[in-house]
Amino acid sequence: MADAVSTGARTRSMDRLSLGRLLRAREAGVFIALAVLCLFLTFATDGFLTSTNLLNVGRQISLLGVMAVGMTFVLIAGEVDLSVGSIYAFSGLSTGMLIIAGWALLPAIAVGVLAGMIIGMINGLLSTYGRLPSLIATLGMLSIVRGAALILTNGQPVTVNLRNGAQPEVLSSFSYMGQGYLFGVVPMQLVFFVIIAACAWVILSCTNFGFRIFAVGGSAKAARVSGISVNTMKIWAFVLMGALAALAGILSLAFLPSGQAGRTGLGLELDVIAATIVGGASLSGGEGTILGTILGVLIIGVMRNGLVLMGVSPFVQELMIGLVIIIAVGIDKWSRRRTA
Amino acid sequence: MSAAQNQTIVEVCGVTRRFPGVLALDRIEVGFRAGEVHAVVGENGAGKSTLMNILAGDLQPDEGEIRVDGQAVRFASPLLSRAAGIVVVYQELALCPSMSVADNIMMSSMATRSVASLVPREAMRVETRQALTRLGMSDLDPDTRVGRLSVAEMQLVEIARAVRQKARLLMLDEPNSALSRRESERLFEVVRQLRAEGVTIIYVSHHLREVLDIADRITVMRDGRTIETIDNDDISETRLIRSMVGRDLGTVTPWALEAPALAEDVDPVLSVENLSCAGIDNISFVVRAGEILGVGGLPDSGKDMLGEALFGLCQRTGRIAVGGTELQPLDPLGSIRNGMTYVPADRRGAGGLLSMSVAENVVAASLPRFSLAGFLRRAGIRREARAQVARLDARISHLGQRLGTLSGGNQQKIILGRSLVTAPSILVLHEPTRGIDVGAKAEIYAILRGIAQEGVAVLMISSEIPELIGNAARVLVMRNGRISSELTGASVNEEAVLQGAMAS
Repeated sequence: MADAVSTGARTRSMDRLSLGRLLRAREAGVFIALAVLCLFLTFATDGFLTSTNLLNVGRQISLLGVMAVGMTFVLIAGEVDLSVGSIYAFSGLSTGMLIIAGWALLPAIAVGVLAGMIIGMINGLLSTYGRLPSLIATLGMLSIVRGAALILTNGQPVTVNLRNGAQPEVLSSFSYMGQGYLFGVVPMQLVFFVIIAACAWVILSCTNFGFRIFAVGGSAKAARVSGISVNTMKIWAFVLMGALAALAGILSLAFLPSGQAGRTGLGLELDVIAATIVGGASLSGGEGTILGTILGVLIIGVMRNGLVLMGVSPFVQELMIGLVIIIAVGIDKWSRRRTA
Repeated sequence: MSAAQNQTIVEVCGVTRRFPGVLALDRIEVGFRAGEVHAVVGENGAGKSTLMNILAGDLQPDEGEIRVDGQAVRFASPLLSRAAGIVVVYQELALCPSMSVADNIMMSSMATRSVASLVPREAMRVETRQALTRLGMSDLDPDTRVGRLSVAEMQLVEIARAVRQKARLLMLDEPNSALSRRESERLFEVVRQLRAEGVTIIYVSHHLREVLDIADRITVMRDGRTIETIDNDDISETRLIRSMVGRDLGTVTPWALEAPALAEDVDPVLSVENLSCAGIDNISFVVRAGEILGVGGLPDSGKDMLGEALFGLCQRTGRIAVGGTELQPLDPLGSIRNGMTYVPADRRGAGGLLSMSVAENVVAASLPRFSLAGFLRRAGIRREARAQVARLDARISHLGQRLGTLSGGNQQKIILGRSLVTAPSILVLHEPTRGIDVGAKAEIYAILRGIAQEGVAVLMISSEIPELIGNAARVLVMRNGRISSELTGASVNEEAVLQGAMAS
């Protein structure tokens, strides 16, 4: 009897890991697309499948990835955030200016991230209690925050270096965040992305917070009658997004190490949304996974890298990226309709 | 039944609720006992939904009170009524389709746990399986996404969730309107099981056969009042219908008695043979020139699909001919060219162009006639619009006024005008006076009769029985996708329509 029970349990868990189940997983389509792309590039180019190049791709996608993780929360909650490119610029430049002004590293970063969270909270309040569609609210905030960044910097470039007044030890830690390598191999930006993605995965799939985000976006009515505060959860999703966009902006300044309010992160929101959507998140809410988002970010990153390696002109690259977005999401929707 | 089971747990005392211009509930008195299945029946607009909404905490009574265990309570929100053990399963289900069965059933217990806690997936699965097994639904996998379930299974999931939340009073709103026979049986099993456990079930339904099968007591509502609450022993469907009708029809005189006699040999304008589509199962009928044919029935009888099917907005089989020319499905433009126009029920959504002017709305369905080489002939449009406005006696300030700023009655007149500009031979109307005040209704009826007298065939699909009786010389009553009875002359009366719509 006991045997029978344990075999029953085993077949159930075996079934959960079977190939068929993997293929039916939400992320399967994106994963296969990525695999095909990598396979193609391995044979079509010389330099793709080298550890240097792959780590390079990892660094290039990291900032986009950090923001896409935040966008995954927002999209699952049934909202969208267009202001992330502006938050990226505003927070990065704020932190940069504070470092130039002689601040220590952690307080400067904390202020930048906090600014992002406050902007996120305003986005959230406008989209919930303010009764504005988040598309409109965050479109307004996109302009407002960009304008604030221009006013703050007076339109001048912000360059973090010793000559402008940064403390030497602060500058070296700041630069390490953006340009350094862990164990001399793994780019620090990638380390940040991996840690953030891992935390987000745990939060989204294992905690009550993630459960509520899914519930709120899947059916606000169902969430409400179950006693979940729809507005609170949506606001938290925006706050999280704001924090991650701010962090990405700070890391970007640490890497470059110069930025300008009129240019930094311009149009970035569209890349972020595109990567998240390619990863399977739905604009109508309730759908999306961190794994999918990572795959979505990888597809866009690998695509860009491959096109460069193949020597395709930047103009054509832009066009190809657009095609990938349409094809990837198209295949996903089409296959889902067939299985539904 | 033991004494404890006969105890009244929830009581509605003198509850009155007004909406602008309507008295939706008028001093309602009804008590629900522990462990009974209590059916609430009544025509459309009798006040059943309003009563449910008040019990569910979605609406507050203007007067009167609700007592739970003898204590007066006020449900300011659905959460409070749920906390008191009252749960409604609406027709539009409150489930999250992208999440699993277990997630949905356990959602309310997640809402009370710390937001930082982990999701106890395995425990949720176990508890869900228990809840499902208890209701005889052990074959449902807790991991299935709710979006993949059938409507019947979704309903059962919602009931399981209510039961797990320790519901004492479970309200089912038209639970079987979307269910197959077998699924209904399963639902009844669950209802009986819950009754045996002492849960009270309020069962709101149009289907008298099923009500008589399952209910212990039945409350009849009419015009916002509770007429009577009767024990269900040896009651016939006819007895219930008589109780539901009993209305003072006032000035509504059956038109069938006054209508000018039509020659039997007039060729039919619209002939429908073996029409089938989603919700309609092989029906045939004809409409003659100068006749108003009424079509009545319950919301799930298929009558609401009829207009779209005839006009060609949905896939269908069968033969539909106007004046001898056969119409093709999915070709509304062809239907218009052959002389059919359709006025849908959803005036705000599908019927009128609310943000455009009165004049533009009048000609919207006949633009080729009012344009020259792609340019609109403004003068001609204004002339036609002015003529229609005068003919229909629509009250507007000027022809450029936006349709959306008019009252419902005047909007409907303009939409009728749009149909008339196409010079139709058959006019199909779906709920022609929904949401329109009494005075405007009478005017629209007069217009429709005038149109019919000019030789246009009119097909009026309506949920309002007095409207059918007052205007149609002949009434088809639909049930389960078929025509259950055809009433003419003296047999056109409310009781006969209800009999055809509800009785089995």
